[in-house]
Amino acid sequence: MKKDLFSESVRLAYIVKDLRRTFELWGYKEIFLPSVEEYSPNLRKGTKFAYNNKFYMFKPDPTSQILANLKERRELKIYYILEVLNGATKGEWQAGIEFIGGNDLMVQVEGILVAITALESLGINEFYIDVGSLEVWKRALKEIEEYKPQIITALSRRNFEEIESLPISSAKKEELWKLFNFRGKKCEYQKLNKIIEAINDKRVFVDFGTMRILPYYSDIIFEVYSPKFGKPIGGGGEYEIKGMKAFGFAFNLKAILKLYEGDLEKTRKIISGDLKEAYNKAKQFVSLGIPVKVRK
Amino acid sequence: MRFVLPKGRLLTGSVEILQKAGIEVRPPQGRELITKNGEYSFLLAKSFDVPVYVEHGIDIGIAGNDIVEERESDVFVPLELPFGKCRLSLAIPKEKSVKVEEMDGFRIATKYTNLTRKFFDKRGIEVEIIKLHGSIELAPKIGIADAIVDIVETGNTLLANDLIELEKIMDISAVLIVNRISQKTRFEEINDLILKLKGVVEDGF
Repeated sequence: MKKDLFSESVRLAYIVKDLRRTFELWGYKEIFLPSVEEYSPNLRKGTKFAYNNKFYMFKPDPTSQILANLKERRELKIYYILEVLNGATKGEWQAGIEFIGGNDLMVQVEGILVAITALESLGINEFYIDVGSLEVWKRALKEIEEYKPQIITALSRRNFEEIESLPISSAKKEELWKLFNFRGKKCEYQKLNKIIEAINDKRVFVDFGTMRILPYYSDIIFEVYSPKFGKPIGGGGEYEIKGMKAFGFAFNLKAILKLYEGDLEKTRKIISGDLKEAYNKAKQFVSLGIPVKVRK
Repeated sequence: MRFVLPKGRLLTGSVEILQKAGIEVRPPQGRELITKNGEYSFLLAKSFDVPVYVEHGIDIGIAGNDIVEERESDVFVPLELPFGKCRLSLAIPKEKSVKVEEMDGFRIATKYTNLTRKFFDKRGIEVEIIKLHGSIELAPKIGIADAIVDIVETGNTLLANDLIELEKIMDISAVLIVNRISQKTRFEEINDLILKLKGVVEDGF
């Protein structure tokens, strides 16, 4: 049971309202995903259960759920606000977008810009975005494919010792060490340089140490974080579906809630007096888009 | 920079290795929880809680890799440290010894419920896990469990309680852990410390 479901819900509602507005300004439409999906090994997270001799997933990872439901080529710009289960009963509220079927570079640049403007719309300006590339690692590991799983695990834990213990040449280790610690504005991967240039934001960096190991990511990945909060605020990446380029990200709403410093309650027109008259007035204000509060 | 150090058997090693790497550690004394020394602050925590503190914002910590795995903490583990070496093992009373494959339905007492569940799940064996916080080796003696999963250092405690080690689940060592965000926001500082610690380890700490 939540400590105080109702207060938390009020706070989430304020944040989600602004996120929805930003996503819609960029042309994304909300998708309402079913809570229960027939089990598929491609669905991530969520909680597996059996019913009538069939397996199902309850509240899986939305990107994997969207991909499982996309049966044919179709360009989509969608967003979601929902709870994802962690394999048991613990859930995490997420807000995210998927841009499916755009041009290469366009999907990545727009995706990251949506994330930036969404945070700014909430008054959250102190954040950084680290952008990495799986392709760069794929190229670096080309001749040492057999050690790829160990290297990727070592990368995700930032444990270079594990890489050093592998029987690979010291020149290769040196190359991997440099990549592992590369952080800056410009790199040797032109695709990434073009993305960083187009985004043109001083908070966005190239960081090859950024690693998100999800089966569907194909190249560009990113992570959003703030020095004010000890965990990533969100992240996402590029993938391909039915031969189309796609890019998506999700925010952890609890993290955003911790960083949000804006007022939760906006000024309202207070209306009081006779019940019929007060509500008649309130109705007119609401139709003009003015927030109201009717008092006894 | 904020450090969290583990109370108990890893504390001495943790303080020593940090000091050799040039960090003047002043561990909290008596009832003190946090101490400061210039730009560094040190928090002393229960060893089981160290990865949780680091995951949620403390920059650096030292913990057993068993605890990092058990708590499934989302932290960076850049360095294995040369102390706190032992193993996590499955042990059973000598007179009731069976193969692991024959343990279906057994009751296992442990502090490490996640690692125990994963160990048996991997082999497709269904067991009942009872979480205890200490004196795990007594559980089979008093009949509340058939076997235990616990830390083994010398094997003397097992011997004294008529238990035998059935299988090693994992090797344990102290590890340096780093908050994922601190690694980015204090990139140079943390990389510098990791390299210094690495040097201390290579010099035969």
